[in-house]
Amino acid sequence: MHAQQLDLDAFGGVEAEPPRVARYAVNEAMIRNWVEAVDDRNPVYVDADAARATGREGIICPPAMISTWVMNGYRRWREVQALREAGQREDFAYSRLMSLLDEAGFTSVVATDVSQRYLRELRPGDRITCFFTIDSVSPLKQTALGPGHFVTLSKRYVDGDGVPVAEEDFRLLRFRPANKDG
Amino acid sequence: MSLPDLTVGTVLPDLEVVLDRTTIVAGAIASQDFEDVHHDPGKARSRGAPDIFMSINTTNGFVDRYVTDWTGPEGRITAVSLRLGLPNFPGDTLVLRGEVTERTEREATLKVTGTNSRGVHVTARVTLESVNA
Repeated sequence: MHAQQLDLDAFGGVEAEPPRVARYAVNEAMIRNWVEAVDDRNPVYVDADAARATGREGIICPPAMISTWVMNGYRRWREVQALREAGQREDFAYSRLMSLLDEAGFTSVVATDVSQRYLRELRPGDRITCFFTIDSVSPLKQTALGPGHFVTLSKRYVDGDGVPVAEEDFRLLRFRPANKDG
Repeated sequence: MSLPDLTVGTVLPDLEVVLDRTTIVAGAIASQDFEDVHHDPGKARSRGAPDIFMSINTTNGFVDRYVTDWTGPEGRITAVSLRLGLPNFPGDTLVLRGEVTERTEREATLKVTGTNSRGVHVTARVTLESVNA
């Protein structure tokens, strides 16, 4: 299959999808699962007394967990994959973009860059909402993995009062594997 | 470790993390990331990778851990910027190295590099302060 030239400029600067409201508050159980996965022994994530000894109010959330709170969960992930298999798209820009890239054979994905600014530490009970914007979609690039398009997203995270808590730029590559014919 | 000790050129001790298949899957699932390339070897191969590979969020978590292992509980990371190079596969050992590259009265910035046996996995810039600054 041949790479067709896609016009993807129209996606730059548009809202990617409706705001993602965290399905549950920042909580100790999810934090503990995470710190065990990366074997992080910092006591401020699990021990309220140790956290208070540093001047904090209580345990805090590891900063790298910020995106975890607004993940859609396993059931929704299955639904999105099923729609993708069926070639169906949902009525928002990110779904339309992914669908166009799928149709053109750019079905594989790898994250390449992430940049996060943490405006404050999160604590159990915080309810996070994230606003996603598609910043840009690159022209077709030849990469070591195969031909593809880089997609840059910006994410703005706010707490339950709408106050910003973190900002993020995230870049991924959607590509056609070099070892496959498409 | 208090922030005043962090002068430009200070080198952090290395951290070696042995990554097996379970580490890679545990990191992905703890961050609610169900992308098949992080847990299903057959699907990973069909998408052009030789095996499952570690997620960018998991790399971010290990970089966090590396930096705050060193600063102690008073360290507070305020910004991180990381770029991935070669993937981490099951059986790889990730070696993290860091150095203080910038210093202001309030903040220190570190350059952290993570390598495996094939080359550079991640290059990161991490800014931190002390909660008691």
